[in-house]
Amino acid sequence: MNGDGDHELGHVACVRCSKPARLQCPKCLELKLPRVNASFCSQECFKESWSSHKLVHTSLSHKETGELNGVQDPHAAALAQGWMYCLRKGQSRSPQLPTFDWTGPLRAYPISPRRLVPDQIPRPDWASTGRPHQEISSEWQNSVEIKSPAQIAKLRETCRVGREILDLAARAIKPGVTTDEIDRIVHEATIAAGGYPSPLNYHFFPKSCCTSVNEIICHGIPDARPLEDGDIVNVDVTVYLNGCHGDLNETFFVGKVDKASENLVRSTYECLEKAIALVKPGVRYREVGEVISRHASLNGLSVVKSYCGHGIGELFHCAPNIPHYARNKAVGVMKAGQVFTIEPMINAGIWKDRMWPDGWTAVTADGKRSAQFEHTLLVTETGVEVLTARLPTSPDVFPWLTR
Amino acid sequence: MEDDAPLAIPLFPTSPQPHSTADPHESVPGQVSETPASGDGAQGSGDGQAEPVGITMITGYLGAGKTTLVNYILNERHGRRIAVILNEFGDELGIEKAMVNDGAGGALVEEWVELGNGCVCCSVKHSFVQALEQLLERREKFDHILLETTGLANPGPVAAVLWVDDQLESPVHLDSIVTVVDARNLKQQLADSRENGAVNEAYLQIAFADVVLLNKVDLVTGGTTEVEDLEAQIHNINGLVKIVRSERCQVDLKDVFERRAYRAQPSADLETLLQLDERDVHDRMVGTISFSASETTDLAKVNDWLGELLWEGGMDSEIYRMKGIFNIHGSDNMYMLQAVRDLYEIVPTRSWKPDEKRRTQIVFIGKDLKKNTLLESFKKCVAV
Repeated sequence: MNGDGDHELGHVACVRCSKPARLQCPKCLELKLPRVNASFCSQECFKESWSSHKLVHTSLSHKETGELNGVQDPHAAALAQGWMYCLRKGQSRSPQLPTFDWTGPLRAYPISPRRLVPDQIPRPDWASTGRPHQEISSEWQNSVEIKSPAQIAKLRETCRVGREILDLAARAIKPGVTTDEIDRIVHEATIAAGGYPSPLNYHFFPKSCCTSVNEIICHGIPDARPLEDGDIVNVDVTVYLNGCHGDLNETFFVGKVDKASENLVRSTYECLEKAIALVKPGVRYREVGEVISRHASLNGLSVVKSYCGHGIGELFHCAPNIPHYARNKAVGVMKAGQVFTIEPMINAGIWKDRMWPDGWTAVTADGKRSAQFEHTLLVTETGVEVLTARLPTSPDVFPWLTR
Repeated sequence: MEDDAPLAIPLFPTSPQPHSTADPHESVPGQVSETPASGDGAQGSGDGQAEPVGITMITGYLGAGKTTLVNYILNERHGRRIAVILNEFGDELGIEKAMVNDGAGGALVEEWVELGNGCVCCSVKHSFVQALEQLLERREKFDHILLETTGLANPGPVAAVLWVDDQLESPVHLDSIVTVVDARNLKQQLADSRENGAVNEAYLQIAFADVVLLNKVDLVTGGTTEVEDLEAQIHNINGLVKIVRSERCQVDLKDVFERRAYRAQPSADLETLLQLDERDVHDRMVGTISFSASETTDLAKVNDWLGELLWEGGMDSEIYRMKGIFNIHGSDNMYMLQAVRDLYEIVPTRSWKPDEKRRTQIVFIGKDLKKNTLLESFKKCVAV
């Protein structure tokens, strides 16, 4: 009916559930605030979002064009297009950079409005609710599923698609490209493959992949920051396809990086390789952390302890929990047919992590760099199959693999 | 109708929308309240500043006296700053309400605490532990945390969540589980049967306890003999538990705080363990058995054995808790075992004393345990 509205229907996602938006907040209209943050699919979603959404009005009411306290926000252009800083684990946005004792040189940048997933693509429950209810209440949080041959065939396919998408992201990485652009590539490639980008709206995560730059350990949110020559950036991709998830990540070099960063990334790669070499039936899950920890300390690096590898399949995250540090109390012994990730995060400095005010971005407490690699692995009768293994077509981005 | 609706203005643009349809996994709000207490408080938390804050979990049936105990602790002048967390969901772990006693006895100040509803799965710490850590970060330092659970809670799962790896250097650690028991009603409660053979919570709460507060002993009709009889019954279920008699939960707080029941360090606990007799159960579903062996054991084999025992099941029995000391081949240190459900650790502790007989001694608390089967399977651990 409304011409403007019709035009925008296909483009604006509901702030809460990412379905095409059909309603807008009248207060935002009155204040002439960007519509991308004021659009909702239904009165229900609008109601549910109100308590966090309404903050937009007060925080924005004293600014129109990115000017705050007389200071021009460096991201005024992005803000004017409706990009905002992420807060509360993705459940609210702010036009202002939150105050925080940033641990390193990196700062949060505004993030773009939510990307849509076409209706016909099957999606996990959190796509609309933000909560993985099925996952939380699953019996597979407490015992490790032995996958059937049919499940394994599906996982194999999903993981290969995940790999191809990560490879696409890897090819796009260069100085000047924003992490939001990486997210767009991952998002569109996932959809093109008929998949749903698992991270999108998982516990309200606002984007379709994680991009973790320099001192970010993991769960970095793709934003407006252009990659700089000398950065390292991890891209973590998970695809939901065939009713299951495939999860992998790699840390890439942006332009020319210093020797220390190259060593960090290479050692992290080796930590994962060594952990994978261990995998076979009968091995105790707690051994994984011993191997990773040993290799990291040999290289003068430390192992992040707050995040661990996880079971995966029809659920994004399930049992087992696999810590990457030594002397852990992980439960269980590997058995053929079990599928899980190993994803060591290795720091140049101390192991401790801090959380940014966005509620997602984990950074090193000392601001030094952190790298990570991840594969989805299947325990076979004789050893391991790396379901997300590199393909002959994968780009040559790691110097130690080309020799 | 939703399909062809044009962009419409919502009905109530400025009034706050009620946050109705809350489900249990939505951010669980809680309340914090605060009471002061006397003293400088600095002495309370033991030796170092980096010492993590102990959590004492308080379980017990409704009416046993948990709340009386908590109030007693909150109002007692003991010089410790204590936070009390009320977990009214039982298994559903959320910070419901927290109260703080900083040592001087005063008015409760209430405050809402939001449980950091993290993604539990890829984080090694349960969001409940993260919420506790946040609570510590946000307020002045506590010396101790009391976690009061609902009457019908099985302490096992919560204990497992709170038994955080030392490696994580968490500012909180599980100190012990205190179960408050109503001496008048215990027999009745233990006799209560559950459907399809499930173990009733009275057994579970005693089985997982490090301390049983045998409350209302003054109200027992049979006098001392009956109290002793009750104590024997409790010890049959849990041979390691320390029993403290009380009236209206008046206890020496030393019996409640800083038990360090989950720390693999030389402790009073370990010495108790060394003195425990061999024991077996005959007629009870839930009970304690223990045995000792003089042969040296092989650490790798012990780990295999424990994995089988705790992870593979299949023995028709269920192990709730294990403690033990091991004489490990090639080591002069005594190894100490701790297990809660499927979690276990076995770590070296103090070295054997020259006059001490090196041996292995293991205590099992669980359901349908069979001593002979356990002894038989233990033989795999012997070093050759």
